Formats: sequence, structure tokens, C-alpha cells
Amino acid sequence: MKTAVITGASSGIGFATSAELIQKGYHIIGIGHDKTHCEEAEKQLRALSNDTDITFLCGDLMQQREVERIAGEISQLLAERNESRLEVLINNAGCVRSWYTTTEEGYEQQFALNHLASFLLTYRLLPHLKRAQGRVILTGSESHKHMRMRWNDVMLTRGYNPLTAYKQSKLANILFAKGLNERYLGDGITSYVVDPGLVCTDIGCKNTGGLVDWIWSRRKKYGVQPEVPAKTYAFLSETNPAPRELYYHLCKPNNYSCQVTHENADKLFALSEKLCGIQYPSWIQS
Amino acid sequence: MNVMITGASGGLGRALANECGKRGYNVFLTDINAQGLKSIQLGLERQFGVTVTTAACDLTSDESVDALMSTIDTHRIRFDMLLNVAGLDFEGGFLERERRDIVRIISLNNEATLRITHAILSRRCEGNPFYLLFTSSLASMYPMPLKATYAASKRFLLDIAVALREELKDKQVNVLALCPGGLATTREAMSGIAAQGFWGNATTNPLEIVSKQTIARLLRRGGIYIPGALNRTLTFFGNLLPRRWVAAAIYHRWNKAQKQWSPVEFSAGKTLN
Repeated sequence: MKTAVITGASSGIGFATSAELIQKGYHIIGIGHDKTHCEEAEKQLRALSNDTDITFLCGDLMQQREVERIAGEISQLLAERNESRLEVLINNAGCVRSWYTTTEEGYEQQFALNHLASFLLTYRLLPHLKRAQGRVILTGSESHKHMRMRWNDVMLTRGYNPLTAYKQSKLANILFAKGLNERYLGDGITSYVVDPGLVCTDIGCKNTGGLVDWIWSRRKKYGVQPEVPAKTYAFLSETNPAPRELYYHLCKPNNYSCQVTHENADKLFALSEKLCGIQYPSWIQS
Repeated sequence: MNVMITGASGGLGRALANECGKRGYNVFLTDINAQGLKSIQLGLERQFGVTVTTAACDLTSDESVDALMSTIDTHRIRFDMLLNVAGLDFEGGFLERERRDIVRIISLNNEATLRITHAILSRRCEGNPFYLLFTSSLASMYPMPLKATYAASKRFLLDIAVALREELKDKQVNVLALCPGGLATTREAMSGIAAQGFWGNATTNPLEIVSKQTIARLLRRGGIYIPGALNRTLTFFGNLLPRRWVAAAIYHRWNKAQKQWSPVEFSAGKTLN
């Protein structure tokens, strides 16, 4: 049985994608922030079919020690059941903040959750992904265009703008996927970014505060249902041989920003490795 | 520059620690939360490569502070700056709160602040200028019904700051009282801001700007720093009115806001400034 790890699985796109992959026979390890939401989501997903195989882990991926803990629990689960193989990792959890707020490490929260959490979790799960020739999928956004990395101030401490922080974190997602492909295509691990389009989810209204909350509660009404982008995640997880492009929208490759270069990807890897206290291996020991 | 920061694992403490790290200062962090200290230490070392020392300490206990001071003395550490950030508030009206909780506000916000301030001032680098920050609050400007103890404790810090600034001028000590409005430091703080609607958002100060300006003001001249033009204006006009009128207006507004807001979300004991 194939396994997919999905972060942010208790609602929105992560939830819809879990449902989609359950129907394709995957064992799902879902990760959510809020315990009650996780339990509710698990109940709903179990109702989908009789042999639904799902485990929910609860944790705040913004905090690095929580990522470490969750990664440990995933490894243990995989070792118990699937010969430590992980077919799909979907780094989907994300947030928006109206104000400059920091994690326990003092990192800006959008950068920490939208990018660093994926960076650290993927690193911890690399051996499992290699064993299964797995795929890493990140939730990106069209908004990464017309944006460049603020290398001198990635945490935006000189003056915070919620949209800038969000766009930068989404650009970081593509740079990360590109960097992963440059390093690990040879190991059989393929990485993608999905542009879900405008989707009717609550991302802008979860502990966001301020203006963003108000704007998003109006804007989301024009979005598609999360089941629409969920199809793209399933397409990228299932299609064989693995699709070759980097950035997908509605199951089709799309253009991405000219900022997505080898140099920027390397720079982001170096910075993120420093901020997570890790070093991506040149060769994955599995 | 050696900087001691109290309440360093809370929202404002972390932001100020980041600002110090960015400036290349060495920081000594204390907080009651040992786990949080470990995290912010990692973050600062990775981001800025500065020397970070941490020690968990309950500032409300004399023994705990004595132990901290003996560690500091063993290593012969001397300080150039003290940022007093540790503080707390409990939500709810005076009679709805636990008796011990009310007293704890004063124990931490006032007693503990004096305890650590005296200890660190006695361990400053002789002959060098020293920079001393008290984290007061916009709440210090008026008597605040429904936040009476908190507001009074912050008033105490404001007065201490202004008085010590004069008293210690000859000893080259700069003293600054920081009086921010709302700061979006925790989930609880953000829900509190949201509950106050328009005025909550309008009087909230951006944390990254406040921390940058605080250090800059402290280095330059000290005094009283009220971030935000709107907050300064409100304070100016508030001070022209009789204090009883202002208190009545505040009671009216808070009473309304608290009714719309579920204080269940508010976990007691979180650092709030």
C-alpha cells in the first residue's frame, strides 16, 4: 500500500487531497495543528470508505522542535507498516499573518511555516522518499510572481507587509522544489509545486488578525472548492512515469517566475540549512 | 555590548532579542520558560552568530535571582544594557480574578523588575554608559477599569523610569520607558486586538518597528517612548481630561469589548505587554 504524508490535512486543500488519495487507495498520514479539527477530519475521512487507512498526527509545524517530533513519529509509523517507504510527501500547511509575529526561534511565522517547516520535514523524510522513489509536492501560488527574495532581510524585520511575506514564502517553495530536483532527481525523488488557484479555504482567517482576515473572508467566496486543486495533487502523485515539469496548475505545467534560478535555489538552501541547523546530504543514505 | 533581556522567550522579548542580534550584541536571556529559551537561543545563534547565554529564572523568587547572580559573578559577566520585558496580566474584572493572580501581577511586573534591575545595575561595566529599559504600556497613561491592577503596575514602571532617569544621569545611565499599545505577540493578544474592533487595530503597533525604535531611542536618550502617532495623540488629549472621565470612558469601551469576546481563549499567565 502506498503512503502519503500530508501537512495541513485537517481542512481546506490538504483535507480534499487526503480524500482524493484515500479513494485511490493510499494510506494517509495527515498532520494538523488543532486537535479537535484533526479528530473531526479523521472522522469525515473514515466515512468515505470502509477500508480507509488514515493516521492523524497533531502538531504546530511552525516550531522546529514540533517538526522534529512529528518527523520522528512518521518514521516510526512507516517503519512499522510500509518497510519505511514513503511514496508522496505533500508540504501543504501554510498560514497568513497580518502582523510581524515570530516562532519560538524568533523566526517570522509565515516564512517559518510556509517554507522552513517543509524544508526541515522533507530533510528528515528523505531516506523514506528515496526507498520509494517518492515525490515531494509543495503548495505554491501564482502570487510568487513579481516577487524576489529579500536576501538581506528574509524575515522582513525592516517593515512588515503580510502580502510580501506570503509571496516571498511561496517563491521560496518553488526555489526549494527546484533545489530538490537539482540534488535528488538522480535518487529518484521528484519535486513539484502546485498552484491551486484561488480556493475557498480559511487560510486567511486562522489567527491572522487585522485587515487580512477581513479581506480574505470576502475574497475566498470567489474561489473554487478545494476538490479542484486536489485533482492536481493526485495527478502528480499517480502519473507514471513522473511528470517532468516543476510547476503545475489544473494538472498542466505552468510558467513560473524568472526569479526561479539555480543561483537563488542554492542561496535559499544555504540559508535554510543554517536556519534549521541541518545539512542536506549530497548522497542519501537509505 | 552585553545585554540582559528578561521575559526573553515571549513575543516582545524575542523581537528585542532579534534586534540586538542584528546589531551584533551578545545577549544573556532569562525567562521562566526553559524550553522557549532554548529555542530562541538556537534561532539567534543561527541567524546572527552572536554569543547567546540563557538561564531559566523565576524573577519573583529571591533565591532564584540570587542563584542567577552567583552564576553571573562566577563568570564575571558585566552588562551594558538591561531590557526589562517580563510581565503578565490576567483577564477579567477585579472580583472575577483569583486573589493570588492579582498579587502575582504586582510580584512580577513590579517587585521582580526592581529585583533584577538593582542586581544588574550593580553589575554594570563601571565607566561605560548603561542602557536601561522598562516595558510599561499605553495602559500606564490612565487608570483602567477592568485592567486596574495591570494598568497601575505599568504606571509604577513608568514613574520609576522617569525618576531613575534623573537620579542616575550622573552615572551615565540612560533610562527608557516603552509604552506600546497592542502588540500582536500571541494568539491571545491577537484575539484581544480583534475583540476591540477598529480601535484595537488602530492602536496596535507593529512589533518589528517597535523593537527597532526602542533600541534606537534607548541608545540615543531614553525618556518615554509611545509608539504610533495615534497613540501619542490619544495620550496627549487623555492627559488634558480629568482622570475620572477617562476612566469612565475606558470602562464603557472595555465592558462592551469583553462581552463580545470569549475570555476562555485567554490562557492565564501568558506574558502580555
